[in-house]
Amino acid sequence: MAARALGWLAVLALIAGLGAAFGYAPREAVQGNVQRIMYLHVPAVWTAYLAFGLVLVGSVGYLLTRRPGWDRLALAAAEPGVIFTGITITSGSIWGKPTWGTWWTWDARLTSTVVLFLVYVGYLLLRGMVDEPDRRARAAAVVGILGAANIPIVHFSVTWWRALHQPATMLGPGSAPMPLWMKMVLAINFLAFTLVLVYFLTRRMEIARLEQEA
Amino acid sequence: MPDNWSYVFAAYGVGAGLLIGYWRHLARRLKRFAKSGGGADR
Repeated sequence: MAARALGWLAVLALIAGLGAAFGYAPREAVQGNVQRIMYLHVPAVWTAYLAFGLVLVGSVGYLLTRRPGWDRLALAAAEPGVIFTGITITSGSIWGKPTWGTWWTWDARLTSTVVLFLVYVGYLLLRGMVDEPDRRARAAAVVGILGAANIPIVHFSVTWWRALHQPATMLGPGSAPMPLWMKMVLAINFLAFTLVLVYFLTRRMEIARLEQEA
Repeated sequence: MPDNWSYVFAAYGVGAGLLIGYWRHLARRLKRFAKSGGGADR
């Protein structure tokens, strides 16, 4: 019942996010309406960071305590993390075509994001290859901890190396050179995606618990 | 710059597709458990 209510809350927040991105946010002066992809692309990558941060928490928790609940948290966060990274990569590629003139370029931000995606796809594949639960959880926890090191690399890649991708506007050095309304639309969509993440997390943890009890 | 609405709809469409696809995947697995109480342990 609580999960259903959370699901509906997430749907309402997504509708509010779409309304803000397409109704409230004005047409951007330089890029035109294609800039509205930002309200999907940026919150998606923040949510992916959050999900992989939870994989890190679950992985460390499991190695310290050996309690299966921590492993379930790590697993349940990894799957939506991969989904949100997939949304980040596809929306970025689609945004890149009209603005950069290409669907893809191997610059530092794009390449490190693909590496992040592949690390956590590998994390999920690894879980499918080991049968013994404790061995599987320990191996996955090591990958979950090492994989998290890639999050700052993705985020700061645009600062550390020359890149076609623009530097970090939010969560970067100095105050964000962005009007308040734009920050608000980003925040609404980030909140909506976070609710979706929490909903997916609770559902996936429930499935993992049922699997362990079966 | 032209508005390129097709790119905007494509990006949001792919995003919606991925979220709905994963939501349906979870719902199917939970429904399977409700029916039979079984599934792969991963």
